Amino acid sequence: MGKIKENPFVKKVGFNRIVLFFVLLLLYGFFCVMTGGNFLGVGRILSALNYAYFLGFLSLGVTFVIATGGIDFSIGPVMFCCALISGYSLVSHGISMPVAIIISILVGFAFGLFNGYLVAYWTVPSFITSMASMNIAKGLASVFTKTQSVNWPQASAEGGWYRMIIKVGDIPVGLFIFLAVAVICAIILNKTKIGRYILCLGSNKEAVRLSGVDVKKWEMLAYIICGTLVGIGALFYVAAYTTVQPGYGDQYNNEAIAGCVMGGTSMAGGLASISGTVMGVFVIALLQEGILALGLDKNYQLIVTGIIVIVAVFGDVLSRRRKN
Amino acid sequence: MGEVILTMKDIDKSFPGVHALDHVDLEIRKGEVLALMGENGAGKSTLMKVLTGIYTKDSGTITYEGKEVEFHNTKEAQDAGIVIVHQELNMLGHLTVAQNIFIGREFKKGIRIDDAKMNEEAAKLFKRMNIDIDPKETMSHLTVGRQQMCEIAKAISHEAKVIIFDEPSAALTETEIEELFKIINDLRSKGIGIVYISHRMDEIKKITDRVTVMRDGTYVGTLITKDSTKDDIINMMVGRVIYEDPKTHSTVPKDAPVVLKVDHLNAGKMVQDVSFELRKGEILGFSGLMGAGRTETARALFGADPVESGDIYINGKKVVIKSPQDAVKYGIGYLSEDRKRYGCVVQKSVAENTTLATLDSYTKGIFIDKKKEKEVAEKYVESLATKTPTVDQLVVNLSGGNQQKVVIAKWLTRDCDILIFDEPTRGIDVGAKNEIYKLMNQLAKEGKAIIMISSEMTEILRMSDRVAVMCEGKKTGELDISEATQENIMNLATREIE
Repeated sequence: MGKIKENPFVKKVGFNRIVLFFVLLLLYGFFCVMTGGNFLGVGRILSALNYAYFLGFLSLGVTFVIATGGIDFSIGPVMFCCALISGYSLVSHGISMPVAIIISILVGFAFGLFNGYLVAYWTVPSFITSMASMNIAKGLASVFTKTQSVNWPQASAEGGWYRMIIKVGDIPVGLFIFLAVAVICAIILNKTKIGRYILCLGSNKEAVRLSGVDVKKWEMLAYIICGTLVGIGALFYVAAYTTVQPGYGDQYNNEAIAGCVMGGTSMAGGLASISGTVMGVFVIALLQEGILALGLDKNYQLIVTGIIVIVAVFGDVLSRRRKN
Repeated sequence: MGEVILTMKDIDKSFPGVHALDHVDLEIRKGEVLALMGENGAGKSTLMKVLTGIYTKDSGTITYEGKEVEFHNTKEAQDAGIVIVHQELNMLGHLTVAQNIFIGREFKKGIRIDDAKMNEEAAKLFKRMNIDIDPKETMSHLTVGRQQMCEIAKAISHEAKVIIFDEPSAALTETEIEELFKIINDLRSKGIGIVYISHRMDEIKKITDRVTVMRDGTYVGTLITKDSTKDDIINMMVGRVIYEDPKTHSTVPKDAPVVLKVDHLNAGKMVQDVSFELRKGEILGFSGLMGAGRTETARALFGADPVESGDIYINGKKVVIKSPQDAVKYGIGYLSEDRKRYGCVVQKSVAENTTLATLDSYTKGIFIDKKKEKEVAEKYVESLATKTPTVDQLVVNLSGGNQQKVVIAKWLTRDCDILIFDEPTRGIDVGAKNEIYKLMNQLAKEGKAIIMISSEMTEILRMSDRVAVMCEGKKTGELDISEATQENIMNLATREIE
């Protein structure tokens, strides 16, 4: 085991990611067998993914926050808030589609700024901040939409072109956009000053502060990046489902955080992997689709993702304990 | 003077790399107050921890009331009647006085806790001590001094025969100290053996009967307090041979420009009205005992902690330093005594730590120029002789000395003119120590100005051009290296409080 981990290739890619890759394959094989081959084929996979991209953006976003050693429990409801406010403006106030898209992203940005400012400058624990803004997001969306669900336009309707962010004919545009954004996230995290400071302050904030770095600014930025990605995620949600209902979204927190920690991002901060998050999201998507294909209802998904979060975080705790 | 109640003989204790106690003897008598003195790291606390079962001794014997004993934890020691009153109080602020005193051994009525009985017993205790504290009062409403009285009451309630006071007066006011002494006198007259650890010479003279002095983990000797002078005690505390050649005179020219001037700096209790000047090419040693306020002064100066008042001048110009960012901007670098917590990000690589304070110089736009970063990290690994396989190695895997070199490299990339070394060689082995010293001398020669905080007398006398001494948050004196001796430094460090 130790030898495998010392292998240069394994070291470069990361042991965790290799394990995750095999988990993904095994899981896929398992569902194929269990459903009698019903699960095979690229088309089937892609159609399943269409309903998972939004989760991917949430996961990517929360990866930045967790890298600072924080947590964000508001991502799901904030995503709904983005979709509801921009959607309601679109349907009831008659703004154009491009403006609606911008509003969605801006609402996400604003929540990120709010969370980040409270956490970094007022030093309110991120756990509390995000719990509070989760409720604010839900309440705000309900007030804005007068507690009515919002129906974004169908593909054939006017302004329905926005749904092409997921697919155009048989071309999986959504997959390309998601992977492209993931690559950008990976570059930000690993190649830029932003990522360097986020990871370092996640590991030892006081040492970074005593090096003369404006840690508050960089910590806040992690939340802003997260919020913005949530705003983008909202668009992929409505492109997949078109209907959004106020007062929901909590369940996606768990799924997004599960995808992130499964990929090897440490809840203690300082250690994060975008490729791991991407694979983690695929595992979650596969599980959801697989559970449905087995004929079990949606509640089983909740149970399974709950367990995954515990197992992944416990694994992280164990590996850190061993290092110490 | 009473009979001997406890004898520690030939106590030996080693930790990895440190011989903490080297065949130490100690004798405690009934109805007597014994002062235990020594510099930081002399082994006083370790000895007391061995006695109360926190540490296990490697060899030696402890004889208590005529029988050889060995305690495995504080509970066993407590049950036998040996208790410590710690400097930091272990009290639960939201509980009442009585509940604190009887915590873990509450009186019960069935399954209910019998508060009335506890209050009654606590009141009896206080009456015995002749002090007036309401057992029903919430602990956090009491002053620190009164809380300490409760701690003592708790000790007495264990039917203690030996009570150890570990720097009990550090947090007390004058009147509270008077009250404390009254209680100690009272305990003495009741035949209890008392060990009193303190750095305050005036208290030692006032309250103790004998003084046992320790130095570098060894037993030096015991004096009768009333027959000895402060100088006698200090001579015993510092009388070690300085192996490394101490600096005899400073080579810094008298007219070297003043790069840093600190004027009447105040920051909390630990930094009171501190003023000093620092010249180009000079190493200014900051000496003092633990808790003298040296680190706090450095942190306030560096903007790490808030400053209440006082002015800072850099190269003659007044500056305002509100955060480490400001300090770094003005060319000040701070190397913390606690490297792992405040010095480096141990889970990151040598290269990443090297550029932590100067990342802007190694970026193209928002992108980090990893090639350039690696080059500079390698340059400093070579010039500082840091032992690491590659600059990609995580800092956590390096030894203490090499971690310190990485932190030094971090500030050298910044080209700081003023460097604050806080305990630069703490936890570093002898070989690496000498390298750090060489490096500091070289930096001074190149014209950097260095503040060196150190609790090691040899280090102070070997490295400093000038020595500033602090005691309890105040600067008590400044000596040129030509006139600095162990004795007069220690004299300033333990100055009586007016």
